[in-house]
Amino acid sequence: MTRSQSLLTLSRRYLTTAARPTTTTAAAGTAPSKLASHFPTHPQPRLQHLRHHCPYTSRTTRPTIRTYHSAHHPAPLHEYSNSQTTILSASLRHVPTHGFSRDALTLGARDAGFLDVSVQLFPRGEFDLILFWLASRRGLLRSRVENDALLQAQDGGAPLSVDEKIKVLIMERLRMNEEVRDKWQDALAVMSLGENVPLSLSELHSLLDDILTLAGDVSVDASWYSKRFALAAVYTSSEFVMTRDSSANLRDTEEFLTRRLADSKAIGEKITGVRQCLGFMGSTAVGLGRSWGLKI
Amino acid sequence: MSSRTVWRSFQTQARRRLVVPETPYRCFSCTRRAQDSPKSNDQNRMTHFGFQNVPESQKESLVGAVFSSVASSYDVMNDMMSLGIHRLWKDHFVRSLNPGSALPSREHDTAGRGWNILDIAGGTGDIAFRMLDHATNINHDNQTRVTIADINPEMLAEGQKRSVQTPYYNTDRLSFMQGNAQHMPSIPDNSVDLYTVVFGIRNFTDKQAALNEAFRVLKPGGVFACMEFSKVNNPLLNTAYKQWSFSAIPMIGQLVAGDRDSYQYLVESIEKFPSQEEFRGMIQKAGFMIPGRGYEDLTGGIAAIHKGIKPLSSA
Repeated sequence: MTRSQSLLTLSRRYLTTAARPTTTTAAAGTAPSKLASHFPTHPQPRLQHLRHHCPYTSRTTRPTIRTYHSAHHPAPLHEYSNSQTTILSASLRHVPTHGFSRDALTLGARDAGFLDVSVQLFPRGEFDLILFWLASRRGLLRSRVENDALLQAQDGGAPLSVDEKIKVLIMERLRMNEEVRDKWQDALAVMSLGENVPLSLSELHSLLDDILTLAGDVSVDASWYSKRFALAAVYTSSEFVMTRDSSANLRDTEEFLTRRLADSKAIGEKITGVRQCLGFMGSTAVGLGRSWGLKI
Repeated sequence: MSSRTVWRSFQTQARRRLVVPETPYRCFSCTRRAQDSPKSNDQNRMTHFGFQNVPESQKESLVGAVFSSVASSYDVMNDMMSLGIHRLWKDHFVRSLNPGSALPSREHDTAGRGWNILDIAGGTGDIAFRMLDHATNINHDNQTRVTIADINPEMLAEGQKRSVQTPYYNTDRLSFMQGNAQHMPSIPDNSVDLYTVVFGIRNFTDKQAALNEAFRVLKPGGVFACMEFSKVNNPLLNTAYKQWSFSAIPMIGQLVAGDRDSYQYLVESIEKFPSQEEFRGMIQKAGFMIPGRGYEDLTGGIAAIHKGIKPLSSA
């Protein structure tokens, strides 16, 4: 994980931490746009190895959450056991027809050779499926950048600026939702239920964190917060637009996103201008006062 | 500490009962082992019966006596002791399991449609009828069937009597079976979708053996679900709860059912049952996968729902 991600680490964090690119190279090469391509259906040796060390199940044996990053001790992949990953991956194939629902989970369980009753593996029901979708798409976004050179300048042009990269990343992420566009409003409704809000926000934060980090943003002061808040507003509003967007290749959404990013940039510039103006007026007032003999 | 004094005051009575074992009965839900004669090597092993230690071979008949006596006043007593909350727990338990297949099953599935549910220690049918209702009315599944198993014939008779009032009476969706949950040779391996035991496993002589047997009969992917009294985590609530269970419940038992000893056993057996974490460990030990935290506390931990899923053999 990245340095900035370690800040604001939430306790349930690793539930939704997506797989790192190393596990996806095999799948990504074959059919990157296919649903469920990110998490392999068949358990890989690496997953088994990992499960051995940190079973999803027991809180007591969970590895300590670290606040530092080390290349030698990578963060755990995710907290799903093999069976859960298998069922969830199979369920994603039913999402375009059945939505993010228990039906999709049940059908996924059947496809994976489990019984109807086996969906008891997911205490949160359809919300587990939504979280899995979010986490796996986030992992996929990362692997697109790191393996498929999504952010490389095209045809030897000038490298993309941070703002341009952010836009490319958000659009890439929204296009991943294209297949489930009709069902996404239902998913948003489930995510906004009171009991689900903390995990939803945590997942949103992780996504924005990834986007900013991948885009090369290195701010360390208060703008760390303001950038994430601004981006959260832009991303969630674009997501809403996406659910109603019927244009080819989400063109309307892209235009909307461009306008919102321009807005947020304009607001940022105005705030800077106002702050500068107030600063000048303040120092003028101080200078004036001193010239009148006030001990300021 | 106060519970200790209360306990002592009843110890004498309890000892007397051992000498004359055929005292009345008690219950909350029930399950007892068959009346078969003990094996010789079991003779010396001790287990607990409430707060007393008794030879393993005797526990079965002692517990049997408890539940035979309470079978008739079962519902009234449960309502009075839990203030009606046990019905909410049971409803929640069944709803969370969501029995019944709402989706049409796959065509090539020849194993029969609907779920095959085994309700252990479900003599009075509380859980079984709820599950059948849920499958029929919520999921429109008229295939799901429940087998009620109980070690105690009196409790089974009570359930059979009640089943007359239900639409499932005399259909193949509901069947009764007397048997010991630790050893059920009549149920084949890998044949059950859902195995439930509600307020019963506490009374088993060997809980781990029952869990292993559950693992055997469940299909791969099948679910073990258990609701049982557990440990209260909040100290304030715990104090009130202990006062209630050690003072009020035996008294209610005496007044309403005319049987103090049975209800004394009930509260003592609750006290002896392992905590949520220990019991989760036992479920894992039997080979089950544990979803999430593995248990869900109800009413602050007075009861808890435990679940385990039998893995596919290839996984």
